[in-house]
Amino acid sequence: MPAFANYHCKTTIDCQQGAVRAVRYNVDGSYCLSCGSDKKVKLWNPATGLLLKTYGGHADEVTDVAGSCDSSYIVSSSLDKSIIYWDVSTGTPVRRLRCHAGGVRCVCFNEDSSIAISGGRDNVVMCWDIRTRRLDPVQVMKDARDCITTVLTNENKIYAASLDGCIRHYDIRVGEMICDKIGEPITYLARTQDEQCLVAGCQDSVVRLIDCETGGLLSEYKGHQADDYHIECGILANDAHIVAGSSAGDAYIWDLLEGKVLQRIRISDNGGVVHSLATHPSRSEELLFARRRDMYVFTTDLQIEEEQL
Amino acid sequence: MDDEESLHRFGTPLPTLEKDVVPAKKPLAIEDQIVKDENGKRRFHGAFTGGFSAGFWNTVGSLEGWTPQTFKSSRAEKATPRMQQRPEDFMDKEDLGEFGIAPQGIRTREEFSKESEEEQRTGQRKRKLMQPEQVGPIPGVPVLEHLLRPVRDKVAMRILKSMGWKPGQGVGPRQTKKEKRQANARNKREQYLLEHYGAEGLPSLEQQQIAAVEKGGGDDDDDDEEDEDITFAPDDYEPIFYTPKENRFGMSYSGLSRDPILSKSSSAHPAAPMQHINLFGQLETQPKQKQLSIRGQAFGVGAFEEEDDDIYARDDMTRYDFSLADKKPKQKKIQHVQQRHVIDGFSEDKSGAALQKPYAIDLPRDFKPRNWLQRRTRFEPMDRERTKKLEARIEYKRTGLGRHDLNPDQRAQLLGEQKSQKKDQQPEQPPSRNPFKDRNKLMDLINAKSEGFTKGGLIVDEVLPQAETVAETQTTATAMAKQVKEANATIQEKAVFKTKDLASAAPSGGFKPFLADEAKQLRYDTFLEAQLKTDAEITEFLANMQPVTLSLWDREMEKKEFIQAAKIYRPLNGLMYDRFVSEATVQAEHIKEQQKPPEERKVVMERTKAMWKPASLLCKRYNIAEPFGGSMLEPPKELKGRPKISIFDYLETSINSKADFQTPTIRPKHMEKPKPAVLVPPPLAPLPPPDAVAPEKEKPAQKKGEEPAAVKPSFVPRTPLEQAVDESREKPISEKKDLFRSIFEDSDEEEPVPVATPAITSLSTPQEKLAAINEALGLPSTSGASASSLNVLRNNSPPRGIFAALFKPIEELKPKEAPAPPKFAPIEGNKLKIAYKSREERLRNDKELAMAQVPVEDIYGPKLPEKGAPAKTQAPETDHVEVGIEAKLQHLWQKHAPKKRSAEKWVEKKALSTDDSDSDSSSDTSSSCSASSPAKAKKTKVSKSKKSSHRSASSKKSKKSEKKSKKKAKSKKSSDRSKPKAKKKKSKH
Repeated sequence: MPAFANYHCKTTIDCQQGAVRAVRYNVDGSYCLSCGSDKKVKLWNPATGLLLKTYGGHADEVTDVAGSCDSSYIVSSSLDKSIIYWDVSTGTPVRRLRCHAGGVRCVCFNEDSSIAISGGRDNVVMCWDIRTRRLDPVQVMKDARDCITTVLTNENKIYAASLDGCIRHYDIRVGEMICDKIGEPITYLARTQDEQCLVAGCQDSVVRLIDCETGGLLSEYKGHQADDYHIECGILANDAHIVAGSSAGDAYIWDLLEGKVLQRIRISDNGGVVHSLATHPSRSEELLFARRRDMYVFTTDLQIEEEQL
Repeated sequence: MDDEESLHRFGTPLPTLEKDVVPAKKPLAIEDQIVKDENGKRRFHGAFTGGFSAGFWNTVGSLEGWTPQTFKSSRAEKATPRMQQRPEDFMDKEDLGEFGIAPQGIRTREEFSKESEEEQRTGQRKRKLMQPEQVGPIPGVPVLEHLLRPVRDKVAMRILKSMGWKPGQGVGPRQTKKEKRQANARNKREQYLLEHYGAEGLPSLEQQQIAAVEKGGGDDDDDDEEDEDITFAPDDYEPIFYTPKENRFGMSYSGLSRDPILSKSSSAHPAAPMQHINLFGQLETQPKQKQLSIRGQAFGVGAFEEEDDDIYARDDMTRYDFSLADKKPKQKKIQHVQQRHVIDGFSEDKSGAALQKPYAIDLPRDFKPRNWLQRRTRFEPMDRERTKKLEARIEYKRTGLGRHDLNPDQRAQLLGEQKSQKKDQQPEQPPSRNPFKDRNKLMDLINAKSEGFTKGGLIVDEVLPQAETVAETQTTATAMAKQVKEANATIQEKAVFKTKDLASAAPSGGFKPFLADEAKQLRYDTFLEAQLKTDAEITEFLANMQPVTLSLWDREMEKKEFIQAAKIYRPLNGLMYDRFVSEATVQAEHIKEQQKPPEERKVVMERTKAMWKPASLLCKRYNIAEPFGGSMLEPPKELKGRPKISIFDYLETSINSKADFQTPTIRPKHMEKPKPAVLVPPPLAPLPPPDAVAPEKEKPAQKKGEEPAAVKPSFVPRTPLEQAVDESREKPISEKKDLFRSIFEDSDEEEPVPVATPAITSLSTPQEKLAAINEALGLPSTSGASASSLNVLRNNSPPRGIFAALFKPIEELKPKEAPAPPKFAPIEGNKLKIAYKSREERLRNDKELAMAQVPVEDIYGPKLPEKGAPAKTQAPETDHVEVGIEAKLQHLWQKHAPKKRSAEKWVEKKALSTDDSDSDSSSDTSSSCSASSPAKAKKTKVSKSKKSSHRSASSKKSKKSEKKSKKKAKSKKSSDRSKPKAKKKKSKH
């Protein structure tokens, strides 16, 4: 088990786009994206806090964003019921896809970024063939009974977490849908690097580790406050620590095995919900948090600590 | 003369004019009559003035004709926004000239030119005549007036003008002629009287005079009768004085009997009618006197007429009578309006709301307002009660908030006064309140409470002046202020104490329903305190308290009253307690709830699985083969490819949903290809008789042929694989792996097939051998079966009825004798849908799938008689041989007929599903020949577990075997499991 080192705030970026709804890394973690309530998506260099590009074109708050595998496209979801496929370099929307009947909550790319998967408040998961000009979804999954909060995918499965307390695995290879019912509304879903387990942030202020294969509940992580917020959780790249935001302006890091709190990251002293976070896809030393209007880059690098001291 | 003569003359001279002769004037033709203006230009009468000679040839228009106005607008040239048309647009240049109708030259402004002013005001020149002659010593307009003219009128003048007054008129309501005359006379007389007698002697004299005038004027009455409506502005006169208003009419309202003269006259001539009759006579004279001068101006003036100026004179139509009838009311109306001197911008109030008078109510002297809803007992006079209340109130006021509890010394001490300063000791008033009264009277208390609070607020104000006075006397102001503060504090403390006492006293008392009778109330209170339940107790309790004077009936009544009252007038914390909660308690509960740790909810994970058909494009994009080759049934309600809801979706689902149609999704063609290899007899197995083998071959062909003629509409699996796939539809996904496994392992087990060929030697008959060899070599069998394979229409179904009886022995014999391990054992069940089976059954089935090579069904070939002619013609001798073999086999079968096989029976297809397992097991046993069935089952299990160990972990986990599930259960004990897992992960990284 890797030794745990405390995280320290490296950079604080005032996104200047209203409340930040989500922060995400790109595929290799060299850039990050933030979604604002001012209908814009911004591309940042998290290391320097440099704003690289702003993507405007949504008609309502942007709720989620994902970068393609080659980092040349971005797909973003918005409460305006549409998802937009952006060209990163030009900053222009390549495609705008509207089929959701409600605001879109989450979006992701598949591995080769040929399919975008979105889930929305209309309880529907939609798969979009984003490379072609097809404006209809390739597939629509209407199994969920409540708002879809997160969609994930790997090479042969699509995971959708919903507020109805179920995680649904759509196995494309086998052709079956597995529904793991937790019973608590799931506000966020993350997956371990080895794709064996899922980390589900639940509404009852518990983060749960679920076995993909059996659907068994492996562990629970408690301590943070979710309240009624869409609190996100994540698992660090080393698959040893679990992180989740909290409504009281701090974030928690747990040990995956023991389930004890390793660090309580005090992000702000004056409140504000730490609702969104992003874990670096490869380096477990880096973390992104979103609180109110700001984005925080956290790292365990000692240099920074020294600099700060 | 010489000069003249020397001159040359050119041309012809005009004839010399005779002196007397005047050249004859040619009368001008109409068309030649052209009007010219002063410049010699042709004059055109405009649209307003249009005269007889206007326009072209005395017509309206011009040579070009009359062209209407045009409007043109294009994109390039936008038309200017429509201008407002002005009168000038329709005027000629001459009209705008100095003498035109709208001269634009520089002129004296109207207010500076007298004539123009007059004209403007009246609008008519003739009004000049109406101007009163100014009487003065010098005739004519005063010279000074010509020289000095005020530019603007005075304010009073302007107001008057706005009210309709004109210079030269008198001020006042319009008068009829008679009135005017009378007024005139009166004015003169008054003036005269005033001059001669002064104001004192006026009334009496005036009356006489007026009477005289009235008499004189009476002559005119008859004449003026009709003149009532025609009114005139009063003449101007010097007002002398104003008589005070005597009547009750509204301001400026002049009633009919306003005129004192008329009232006088009516009194003077009792027989004389009312005023209006008098006035009526006046009207008669009017036509004679008034002459309406209507001149021909309305018809316009010719261009050649001199009176051109008057062309524009406005001739008001109101000056004309159009009928006799409507004259009167109209004029009256005007009069009415004029009588009200309403200034411009104001309008008369017609609502009359101002007239409503507030009436002063005369109340009886001894009236006392009382709340009649208030209950009181019958016998108690209210007054006493009230006095008590009042007393209490006053007493409370008197006692105050404790200030009066202090004696002067204490007060002085508080204020820091010297004792010697003032000695005016007020009579001390100890708080001699009746505590019972005070406590028990709710209303009192409430009143007192509110008063107390106000007092408390006032204390500071009251004390401060005191402090000021004291400050003067004292030397150190700061010390004084401190003292004052202290004093205030003590007083306020006391006040607080008092009010607190009041506040606490109020709720303790509750309702006092029997306030009127103190003793009763007291009893009631004790009754309440006792909190008795039963009736007997109450009677006993009350009997002790009630005075002896009370009659039995009264006692009973009182008891009832008390019980009733206790019910109704429950104290607040009885009646309302369950309905209302104080804010504090709510908050406290809330906090308590928050503090309470959230109850641990047990999260129970549930996993459910369902079929889900991924879209083909999705599979393509994910680079995954479609599950089941895309042959999965689409979910019935899926709106794949057309997310827009169409009405036809509903039609489709409601009437003919796709689920209703069971199309054979798996075509047997693909599956039958491996058949030839399959048909090879398995190793170590005696070859079935050739006739049994033959049908095997023909079967696929037959099936193909059978397909179009399929009786059953639903899909019937033909091959074992089909069957398995079909079966797998109902099965959960995990179990489909069995199917796949069976498929893949089939191919493995097919390998020993070539090895099987040596087994041919063990075949009993040469025919069989031949057939087997032929089979092995893939040659067409020489037996009739090959022929029958051509027969497409052959019924391949298991024999029924007679046939069943016929072939049963052979069929049943064969598995024993020729235990060729059937490649696809459950082929006889091909035409059936296999229902869901238990795991053991399925395992067995798997085993069969693995082992089966020859369909059992095919073994009983001897449907040959049915095959018909072609078979017979082709091989008659084999037929003969076959018969012999059949007989032999039958014989053999009867010899060895195993007991357990007896259970197996061919029944109708549909019922066969239950027999399936039986037949399977039988086939198993037959294939193994040695092991008993339970042992066999064990073996299969073992082999299976071995196999599964080779398989990927995922498939292993997804299996639903009991064993596995047990394992899972173990694994679900997460803490044990997660650790190794994590370790595994670690090792990965």
